[in-house]
Amino acid sequence: MAVLQQYKCPCCNGSIEFDSTAQKMKCPYCDTEFDPEVLASYQESLDGDGEDEMEWESQAGTEWQTGEAEGLRSYICESCNGEIVGDENTGATFCPFCGSPVVMAGQFAGNLRPDYVIPFKLDKKAATEALKKHCKGKKLLPKLFFEENHINKIQGIYVPFWLFDTDADANIRYRATRVRHWSDSDYDYTETKYYAIHRSGNLGFSHVPVDGSTKMADALMESIEPFDFSDAVDFQTAYLSGFFADKYDVDSDQSVSRANERIRKSTEETFASTVKGYSTVTTEHTDIRLRNGKAKYALYPVWVLNTTWEGKQYTFAMNGQTGKFVGDLPMDKSAYAKWLFGIAGACTALGMALSGLIWLL
Amino acid sequence: MKKIALIFLLALSICAFSLNLVCAAGAPRLVDQADILTSSEESQLLSLLNEISERQKMDIVVVTVDSLGGKSPRAYADDYYDYNGYGADGILLLIAMDSRDYYISTTGYGIEAVTDEGLSYMEDRFVDDLSDGDYASAFTTYAELCDDFITQARSGDPYDRGNMPKSNFPWGQNLLISLAVGFVIAFIATAIMRSKLKSVRPKSGASDYVRQGSFQLTRSNDLYLYRRVTRRAKPKDNGSGGSSTHSSSSGRSHGGGGGKF
Repeated sequence: MAVLQQYKCPCCNGSIEFDSTAQKMKCPYCDTEFDPEVLASYQESLDGDGEDEMEWESQAGTEWQTGEAEGLRSYICESCNGEIVGDENTGATFCPFCGSPVVMAGQFAGNLRPDYVIPFKLDKKAATEALKKHCKGKKLLPKLFFEENHINKIQGIYVPFWLFDTDADANIRYRATRVRHWSDSDYDYTETKYYAIHRSGNLGFSHVPVDGSTKMADALMESIEPFDFSDAVDFQTAYLSGFFADKYDVDSDQSVSRANERIRKSTEETFASTVKGYSTVTTEHTDIRLRNGKAKYALYPVWVLNTTWEGKQYTFAMNGQTGKFVGDLPMDKSAYAKWLFGIAGACTALGMALSGLIWLL
Repeated sequence: MKKIALIFLLALSICAFSLNLVCAAGAPRLVDQADILTSSEESQLLSLLNEISERQKMDIVVVTVDSLGGKSPRAYADDYYDYNGYGADGILLLIAMDSRDYYISTTGYGIEAVTDEGLSYMEDRFVDDLSDGDYASAFTTYAELCDDFITQARSGDPYDRGNMPKSNFPWGQNLLISLAVGFVIAFIATAIMRSKLKSVRPKSGASDYVRQGSFQLTRSNDLYLYRRVTRRAKPKDNGSGGSSTHSSSSGRSHGGGGGKF
């Protein structure tokens, strides 16, 4: 039975015909010849393309039980409007977000109850040490920055995170080439072989965190990742004692786009890593569908330090579980100029000496 | 025509003889027929040519004429050397004022001393002076270069392709390149220092949260489509140095080359 199937040339996209003399499929536009079977598989690969689907169901957070939230107090910073939660015994003496000492205590109210919490593993001393280490060996850091630092203004905060679990099904097509060179006595030859590559499969993600607080910069929070979820326990208010908790102000529906972005990127990278042995690889089509998407609400431990230097605020954060310390430091402009011109001068002198030596030999 | 030229030359040589500017071999090594040099330049140049010629035991000759009389510069220079009693080894520079031709004819050991590559090196150094009308300076440069080339050839390793005299150390050019390289290195080094101050960067992926062993490929095929072959002609390797020679009207073998100034 003859099936009328119109094929497109993989090389130039023109309609392709069967060439009876060559017994091959031949593109009338670019003269490239193909095996009919190759074209059939190529067409099948194209027909498998789908659309992206990134649907999530969220059952993140639960309601507070009666009486559970009674021991909690909410503190509002008058200067930056930041709101944190602590238990009634933990008095806030300064705002952890902006360092302002004016903090008003109020009644804790509303919001969802977190599903999980990773308790603090590292104490304030560890955070102080980490800051010292962070400032060490930085040649362009102003000398006075470390000395004038108000190192005592450091605060442990439970930061709200939305955790996303999902299975990603991906269907990706690539175009790849393999290049070979050889030569005879008269010519240099370059052979380029073109391949159509198809990968589909799935990949699971667990607890991809997205910062649920606008007070904490997303980039800062992503920089102290990863958090190890195996240390997480079911949430109890007892874990809050001695620390503060930030309340989420971005809900899971708004956070999911960031999770999708990161999941998509990692899925693409994982699949691309299976395409090996080619000179060039370009992605032609990607569709990713997410299945079994679930979001959970968790509190993750973060040490936060705020300091101002020449009128600018610098925020440092340490992962309270792993001890990873991050925070951008100011640059000493005159030290920068010294290094720049010093190195340039030394290299120029060396270059002149070398070129002189080469000239002499 | 030839006769007239011969008579003229004879007259000139007698004239030169009477001026006591003639070397032991016979013909003078400087013949300024076109009269483009002052007499003091002439005597200075001649004594230089004689000194080099005697020391190197070769004839280094400069001839200037108004016109080549219909001959090619090569034939004129070769014949001039052949028919005026110069020695078996020599180098002659001919200048024709009307056609603005110059030609260097080499004979005997001169062919070995001044290779094709050496000839173009010499031209680069005196033709500019010729074009500017600074003839005395061009001829002096030529004479000194001949001296240098012969000395080098006598050492057994004549100037040729891959063995040219060293040019002056290019201070300006080297300084510019060193500065550029120095600043590029400095910018890279300080950029690394600066990047150490920055530790806040968003994460691009979520590879830390991939479930262990969850990656499964359900389909994996690599389909070969077609191939293209392009070819490019290899650049031809041309020449390997040395001197090209030809025979003059007397049957003697000469080397050399010339051009316009």
